[in-house]
Amino acid sequence: MKKLRITLQDVVPFAAFIVIFLFFTIMSKGRMLSAFNLSILLDQSVMTIVVGCGALFVVAQGSIDLSVGVNLALTSVIATWAANAWGDWLLIPVALIVGTLVGIFSGIVVSRFKVPSFMLTIAMLIGIRGIVNFIQSFIHTQAIPKSMGILSAPYIKYPAFVIIIIALGYVFEFTKVGKYCKAIGENETTARYVGVPVSLMKVVAFAICGLTVGFGALFSLSSNGGTSQQIGLFFEMRVAMAVFLGGVLVTGGTSAKLYKVLLGSFSITIIVNGLSLIGLSQTQYSQSIQGLLLLLILGVTILASKKIGKSAAPADDEEIAGHSEDQTAKA
Amino acid sequence: MNQENMLEIRGLNKYFGPTHANKNLNFSVKKGEIKGLIGENGSGKSTLISQIAGLYPSDSGEILLDGKPYTPRSPIDANELGISIVMQELGVIGSLPAGVNVFLGRTRQFTKNGVVSLKALNKAAADVFEKWELPKVPLNKLTDGMMIETRKIIELARALSVEPRLLLLDEITQSLSMNNRNKLYELINKLKSMGCSVIVITHDVEELIRITDTITVLRDGEVVGDVVSANTTPDEIKHMMVGREISGEYYRADMVPDYGDDIVLSVSDLTVPGEIEDVTFDVHEREILGFCGLSDSGIHTVGKAVYGLLKPSRGRVRLNTRDLTVKSASQALQNSMAYVPKDRDNEALMIHASIHDNFVLPSLTELQAGVGYLAPGKLRKLAQEMTDKLSVKCTDIYQAMDALSGGNKQKVNLGRWLAKDIKLLILDCPTRGVDVGVKAYIYSLMKEAKKNGVATILISDELTEVLGMSDRLIVMKDGRIADVIGRDEDFTEQSVIRVMI
Repeated sequence: MKKLRITLQDVVPFAAFIVIFLFFTIMSKGRMLSAFNLSILLDQSVMTIVVGCGALFVVAQGSIDLSVGVNLALTSVIATWAANAWGDWLLIPVALIVGTLVGIFSGIVVSRFKVPSFMLTIAMLIGIRGIVNFIQSFIHTQAIPKSMGILSAPYIKYPAFVIIIIALGYVFEFTKVGKYCKAIGENETTARYVGVPVSLMKVVAFAICGLTVGFGALFSLSSNGGTSQQIGLFFEMRVAMAVFLGGVLVTGGTSAKLYKVLLGSFSITIIVNGLSLIGLSQTQYSQSIQGLLLLLILGVTILASKKIGKSAAPADDEEIAGHSEDQTAKA
Repeated sequence: MNQENMLEIRGLNKYFGPTHANKNLNFSVKKGEIKGLIGENGSGKSTLISQIAGLYPSDSGEILLDGKPYTPRSPIDANELGISIVMQELGVIGSLPAGVNVFLGRTRQFTKNGVVSLKALNKAAADVFEKWELPKVPLNKLTDGMMIETRKIIELARALSVEPRLLLLDEITQSLSMNNRNKLYELINKLKSMGCSVIVITHDVEELIRITDTITVLRDGEVVGDVVSANTTPDEIKHMMVGREISGEYYRADMVPDYGDDIVLSVSDLTVPGEIEDVTFDVHEREILGFCGLSDSGIHTVGKAVYGLLKPSRGRVRLNTRDLTVKSASQALQNSMAYVPKDRDNEALMIHASIHDNFVLPSLTELQAGVGYLAPGKLRKLAQEMTDKLSVKCTDIYQAMDALSGGNKQKVNLGRWLAKDIKLLILDCPTRGVDVGVKAYIYSLMKEAKKNGVATILISDELTEVLGMSDRLIVMKDGRIADVIGRDEDFTEQSVIRVMI
């Protein structure tokens, strides 16, 4: 096994996860670890993890996709409508295709017209929400066809989830696509000068992100039974927080690792779940406390990464045995 | 203490983690002295002057300026005491216009009610360029996209704008072309005549001896020699630098063109508006085709355009071995072409990523197994083998690139392409900022590639380099090919310079 240099920057997200975990376990007097609650935790993490892993491709390039929430809403609404109008089975392909198309659109605008992804996807966030509201103004909320409810059955949902994550992990960590995404985040000019097809890779990254939104929509529709007015609201923030809480830097590059998204997704889910467990209900302080916690953890992560940046020469005692990619496999 | 000494350093130590970068250094500069500082990559030159310029604090020892203790906390501090620096790698801020870059961090003097008057600032900047007779630079234009040479000149203007008594120049001549180098030499002489001192770092030993009064040689963080420039020879300096005899001959010994008949790449009527016009040439198998010219001759543009990084308005680049027209860099990458850009840190390397990641990047397509699988072991093996083969000085292959010295970075930059089976290699100033040892090694790698049938396009600001290595030399002027000279013809600096100017 090769030796890996573990940096402070890599340790902080783990430490944060453990602290959050212990804190809420103790504060909830162990209720958090009840079988029932654990299954809820897992269930709540699924969507964040799937879309987070897709968003990772975009974040690795130093871009961001803030339109995943509205994309999820649009995808859900159109897929449900198509399935109810023309046939149950259409739900799956329509969800995947619509999600991917929205991603491809973002990718093309970002790469061809050099619009910063942050600005473009904020515009999408507003614009697409408008479209969703417009559609919902005449088709209202709909339930998905009954036959499609089977998607939420554990023996379909969890194997599908695992397969999706393994496939994304494979593409991100073990193929050219993932390596090129990281290279673009490290230095776009360098990537271009070496011969990485930068524009194409940007479209691919946003398309993958859109595809995972399609999967996310299916998970969301099947567990909620249909669309709602609230669908996808603030979902982009949860995904972004999962990615950054896990220790991926906003600048992307080689700091982007799949296991970090898993870690960050669990952290954010535990925060949300834990706060309601210990009785701080949504209406009162929950959101302020969420915000404070996020600020704290991100602050520490950024401080840690700055410290790394300053000490140019690595110290040998920071080396311990271990392999980051193994952790991906384990999780 | 010697009253003449403007700057005196005693027993200076600087550590970076376990690396002892400066060991008990003693160093001094007299008033009006041009001091040369030379040593291999990683010998501690840049570290030393960075401490003088206030970029890093020293760990122990003392620095005296005019006999008084001097402990600058920042470069601005140093500026106020009349010390300014032009760094090797720092550069300018790309998103700011050239004029603002000249007065970076010192815009307060142009500020009224919290608003910076760009007019006053640009006028002051223009005055600096005028006063020191620097080549003209568009002051309102963003520095992003400017050539490395232009950016260096802006940095030089920034350093001069503080009216320095002591100017520190860290390897700037290698970023300048012939004509601007001469301007720099005049500038240094002007400073000397004004009673100011200059510390010059360069890897060009001949140049250093020519322009300095005295030279200090560093090796492994220690001073190994102080000599008077007029009484020394390049060989003596090189000997001190590496601690052993270096054979003076690292260029090719033969004086006949030696290449195959097969044309690897043919370029016809290549035109990039405002940069190059109607550039036509062929590169043959085993040929090293040199390109030289003054700063605006377009030689660097040729390299970029051939690798598909710039869209030509006319003409084409034809790769004969694959029977295809090169239209994009990704196509060039997939078809056995390689490009080593001039700007190592910004264009070539992922500076914060590991040596491993940098080595494997161009070879990912070749390393793929079924369904695009990139086995981590395979990548590691390639990086490790190349690191060993090129003897890159590092703790291991997972060390970040920015911890390496310039020469070792360049080994990775060039070496990663040699791990592939390439047919055409484009080198843009491959020995910029590397010491004689690494330089000789790079030339030997070029010779080895040549022996293996690789065609090379060698673009360089160093005349001696293109003359020393090329089979044929294309001299460019104002974006056009002015002359093509064969190795067996009148292959001398004089004849080339005559065409260049």
